[in-house]
Amino acid sequence: MTQPILEINHLQKRFGKFTALKDITFSVNAGEVFGFIGPNGAGKSTTIRTLLGLIRASGGSATIFGHDVWHDSVAIHQRLAYVPGDVYLWPNLTGGEIIDLLLKLNGNAHTARTDELIHRFGLDPTKKARTYSKGNRQKVALIAAFSQDADFYIFDEPTSGLDPLNEKIFQEAVLDLKHRGKAVLLSSHILSEVERMCDRIAIIREGTIIETGSLAEMRHLTRTVITVTTKTPLDPAALPGVHAVQTGQQPNSWQFSVEAEQLPAVMTALTAHQVVALQSTPPTLEDLFMHYYGKA
Amino acid sequence: MTLTTRTGTGRLTRLGLRRDRFRLLIWVLVLAGLMAAVAVKFVDIYGTKAEIAGIVATLKSPAIVAMFGPFQLGKNATTAQIFANEMLLFMALIQVVMNLGLAVHATRYEEDQGLTELLRAHAIGPQTPLLAAASELTLVNLGIGVLYALGLNFATMPGATTQGNWVIGLGLATIGWLFGMLTLLLAQLADHAASATGMAYTLFGLSYLARMITDVQQPRLTWWSPLGWVEKLAPYHQPNWTPVLLSGLTGLICITLALWVAQHRDLGSGAIATRPGRRTASTWLRGPLSLLWRRQHNVFLGWFLGVVVLGAAYGTVFNTIGDILKTNPTMQQVFGKAVVHSANHSLLVNFSALLAIILAAVAVIPGLQLIFKLYGDETHGWLEALYARPLSRTRLFLSYVGPASLLSTLIFLGGWGGMVLTGNASLTHASDGITAFEFWQGFWGQLPVIGLFLALGILLVGVWPQGRTLAWLYLAYGFVSQYLGNLLQLPKWAKRLSPFGWAPSVPVHHVAWATFGWELGLAVLLGLIGWWGYTHRDLQQH
Repeated sequence: MTQPILEINHLQKRFGKFTALKDITFSVNAGEVFGFIGPNGAGKSTTIRTLLGLIRASGGSATIFGHDVWHDSVAIHQRLAYVPGDVYLWPNLTGGEIIDLLLKLNGNAHTARTDELIHRFGLDPTKKARTYSKGNRQKVALIAAFSQDADFYIFDEPTSGLDPLNEKIFQEAVLDLKHRGKAVLLSSHILSEVERMCDRIAIIREGTIIETGSLAEMRHLTRTVITVTTKTPLDPAALPGVHAVQTGQQPNSWQFSVEAEQLPAVMTALTAHQVVALQSTPPTLEDLFMHYYGKA
Repeated sequence: MTLTTRTGTGRLTRLGLRRDRFRLLIWVLVLAGLMAAVAVKFVDIYGTKAEIAGIVATLKSPAIVAMFGPFQLGKNATTAQIFANEMLLFMALIQVVMNLGLAVHATRYEEDQGLTELLRAHAIGPQTPLLAAASELTLVNLGIGVLYALGLNFATMPGATTQGNWVIGLGLATIGWLFGMLTLLLAQLADHAASATGMAYTLFGLSYLARMITDVQQPRLTWWSPLGWVEKLAPYHQPNWTPVLLSGLTGLICITLALWVAQHRDLGSGAIATRPGRRTASTWLRGPLSLLWRRQHNVFLGWFLGVVVLGAAYGTVFNTIGDILKTNPTMQQVFGKAVVHSANHSLLVNFSALLAIILAAVAVIPGLQLIFKLYGDETHGWLEALYARPLSRTRLFLSYVGPASLLSTLIFLGGWGGMVLTGNASLTHASDGITAFEFWQGFWGQLPVIGLFLALGILLVGVWPQGRTLAWLYLAYGFVSQYLGNLLQLPKWAKRLSPFGWAPSVPVHHVAWATFGWELGLAVLLGLIGWWGYTHRDLQQH
């Protein structure tokens, strides 16, 4: 396997006595969309700010394209695009001017693709930035990032101000980046978005990465919801690894959740009672998130 | 409870006082303290007839008139009269600056921040935020005025009267208040805080210039400048309440207009609206330097033109100042023409030496603001988009610090040049004027001083940005200790606390090149420490 685009090893950051990042370890590969999720204040933005060389790590290491994020930030930023969560734009410049300036700073130019993005996102580039809403400010940053020719893209909660239509355009654009072999780090609160787009996910809590892997891998760590109707009477509560049992609307109809490792045993038991209807719902990312966050 | 357009004014006023409590406290303490302290000092230095007789000639000289206002009192003037004549205008200037800042901060700035929107979603009338700001300013000015009167009562200067003390207190209070109300009106017209502040300072500067020129040439016309009204109070001479009434009325007109505008405009907009602009960036907008120019060129040009006009205005009084025969008509008969010309020249050189300091202090302001903008933009989140680009911190640092140094230098050169050129042109005998050599001496003499103040700013931004106020206080101290130093007979060490007092004044003396060298060296050293700090510290989250 080739070298990862982003590699973080036991990254730490202290602000005085407060430890914002305790132990952050993950990596992002080319052609991969990596989801970075966690509750407010868990350290997502601090991690990203460290990756950008805005703040200096107190311990551990972080490299992008194999370069140290603090010492070689200028070389790294040559091939990096970033959209912050709160976009602040120079109030007396127009959106169009800002997009062009940001592109030029990376040695890129305003291309037909830029115009297409402006059109697709429905941005009026002649307005002064002070008159833009939150969503429009985000569009400016997104258009600049997507029309930039970078190898690594960092998005910090990029869609929090966008309407569903623009959110969809954003997702298409990210998938397009992925198909072109780019690496993407996506920090987001919109779990359905992460679930749909991300190949792998890291969950951060209180400055520590508590889980990394693909959604499929993570699903093994939690429970599947089963809705079942059987011919012969059944007592699901007696089965191993079964929780939250509820009776259904029909006789012999139940809903319960099963721990991943007990799923085969439970299925065998259900078959013995002659299954009439069965529906299994894998845990959503939201369930996973609640599962981890609820542990605190 | 019935809801009106003014619901919640009381509550919002209390909120405003709470929000501004520290800055209000500092302003009130500094202003009231300065007034009382100077009054006590005056009892000490101008307490006797002989001491007063010694200073009267100086106060009558047009140079002092240009700075402090006309002097129409005789040798029998009392301590209190001299105090009122020399101090009121200066105190009014500081109080106006306070009102300008507070008024914009309490209205347009809050609106820019989105706080007004948050408040207006509650049971708060459309005029309430404005009315609350007006109440806050009224309370503050009134409070300062009352403290002035009490402080003056306490100082018991010979010749002071209770009525005079209150004329001063209420006179300054209403004139400060008037500028506060005027700024509130401008804040309703402008559509963002920076534009409101710019308009307010332009009007303030114009009324200062009008006052200065009329004072020197035609004191009767000073009635046309609101700042001139301060001089018409004549508190210990023939107390005049007309300026109080005039300021009160003008202020009322301003606030009434402002309330009308507030009632009729949309939140977040102003009468002077932001127009759409370019669809794409022009080819030269391509880096942090051109970005700074694109964002700030109006401010730069405004400062430059403003200071050139200020310098030129000082220059227009050269012919009055540089004419010793006005104060000493028999001199020509006694000493002959050559001596008169040399005396005239020496008067002008002394006057320009003080002005060089004033212009240098003024020129430091925009440079220091620009250096602090490096930190302001960082905390506003505006730099984040740049940091994520392939730009080194050193380059960003230099693209603020470089223009700041250039700006201060050019502004000083503009003001100083404007003064000398108009001044020399106004003279009947051109040879009395400032020579080219003296001009450059003045320039090189002040250059390291400007550099030192900017370097202090750079150091703070790099190492301790929370302490930025220190640089302003230090600059203010340096300015006040020079502007009022002679009048207050401050001891030498007090004037030497700031770089303005480190080298012999130019162009009266020649540039002390050794001092010049180490001052510049110190500035470079401070700047380097600031640069090191800036490239090694964490950047702030907004």
